[in-house]
Amino acid sequence: MKYVFLSIILCTPLVMVAQDFDKNLASAKSSYSSGKLEDARFAMEQMLRDLDIAIGKEIMKILPTKLGALNYNAKDDNITGGSGSITGLFVQRSFGAVPKRGSIDIINNSPMISSITSILSMPLIGGMMRNENQKIVKVLGYKSLLNKNVDSETGKTNYELQVPMNNTLLTLKMDDTSEAEITQAGNSLPLQKIAQLAQ
Amino acid sequence: MKSSRIFLFGIALIVATASPAQFLKKLQQKAEQKLEKKVDKAVDKELGINQNQPTQTQLGGQNNPGGSSSGNSGGNNPSNNSGGGLISTPPNVKQNLSDAEASYKKNSYSEARYAVQQAMLGVELEIGNQILKSLPETISSLPKDVSSDQVTSTGSGWAGLTIQRKYQDKKDKQLTITIANNAMWMSAVNAYMTNGGYAQQTGGEQNWKQTKVKGNRAIIEFDKSSGYKLSVPIGQSSLIVYEGINFASEQEMIKAAETVDIDGIKKMLGEQ
Repeated sequence: MKYVFLSIILCTPLVMVAQDFDKNLASAKSSYSSGKLEDARFAMEQMLRDLDIAIGKEIMKILPTKLGALNYNAKDDNITGGSGSITGLFVQRSFGAVPKRGSIDIINNSPMISSITSILSMPLIGGMMRNENQKIVKVLGYKSLLNKNVDSETGKTNYELQVPMNNTLLTLKMDDTSEAEITQAGNSLPLQKIAQLAQ
Repeated sequence: MKSSRIFLFGIALIVATASPAQFLKKLQQKAEQKLEKKVDKAVDKELGINQNQPTQTQLGGQNNPGGSSSGNSGGNNPSNNSGGGLISTPPNVKQNLSDAEASYKKNSYSEARYAVQQAMLGVELEIGNQILKSLPETISSLPKDVSSDQVTSTGSGWAGLTIQRKYQDKKDKQLTITIANNAMWMSAVNAYMTNGGYAQQTGGEQNWKQTKVKGNRAIIEFDKSSGYKLSVPIGQSSLIVYEGINFASEQEMIKAAETVDIDGIKKMLGEQ
């Protein structure tokens, strides 16, 4: 009984998204048929947002619940549908607590992608922009940018791994960690599946 | 006698100091030549060019398979001189909405999103064409140039819809109207209008000022090389930009802008 109740609670948001999508689809169809183009367009924008949220939920399902030794913060899981804003889908999961935290951000159509890809694919530009705290690494076959940042107040070393995949950018952040630990965490992510869902 | 000895000593000194310098120069030249040859070889190898192959000029017309060098200017690769280009067909909105529904039911959300984007692209192109139809035939005695009409949409919602029409007399006077919806630069223009930090100043050269076009607040700018630019934000997320080249005065520019049915455009874009 307990599991049935739990599964109902977990599935409720997806059902709501489905209802919204159906409602917006019906609105888009009827508005378009009656020549109300702007209303049809607005309904389609809402549909894109609904779809982004549905995709975000699918991605959340395959994200790890542990990052190294850090547990995820279930209540902080965040999905944003990007229609009408500058980026597309945004998925965020956080891990641990201060002073040792980690996070995974997935952004679709991120404006950052082109600059990261330039660094990764053009050695000349990469050479000019790169610094001693930046390194190109491969994570599950994806060329990625690893940034090291030493906190001047705490003296702890934080790392950030940026993995561009088609039009999706995955950013893995870990505080007070080592290069080996963040690379290992990156290698444990289902990158190919995430790229497939988010594209 | 003494002076000739000094002269000879001087010559010997010059020769002695010049020789190592010349030697070094020669050595440098040799090294540069060698390096150049090496680099050329490496580049040729990368490009797959045979060192022993005669050059294009040596080949002449008889060895050229096409018998002509005009279509073959880039080595042995033919250049395209036929083909009908791409057919510009707006996406079928109804079909794409049906595809989106089917994909959504199969939980193929990514496919559903693509179909919705295509449908949105179709709708935006229709909106753009309606707006172009509503624009006047002539403005300030400049006829419209239909060949330069443009409706641009990405179908992604965030990048928005852009519509452009030009009016020109084929001489030196031109008016370009750009209508942008959901444009990213809207926030910048609104900040320009509302922020006290951009308040109009007196003195110095006045290149921009706030004005009104048919009751809508606007910004007019003047630049000696590009002429007048009038930006009119409409509603929450749309903007009309008029760019006038060789307009006589600010008044003429504003009068030209007022011939456009701004309220009609607002309505078509769903703005309040």
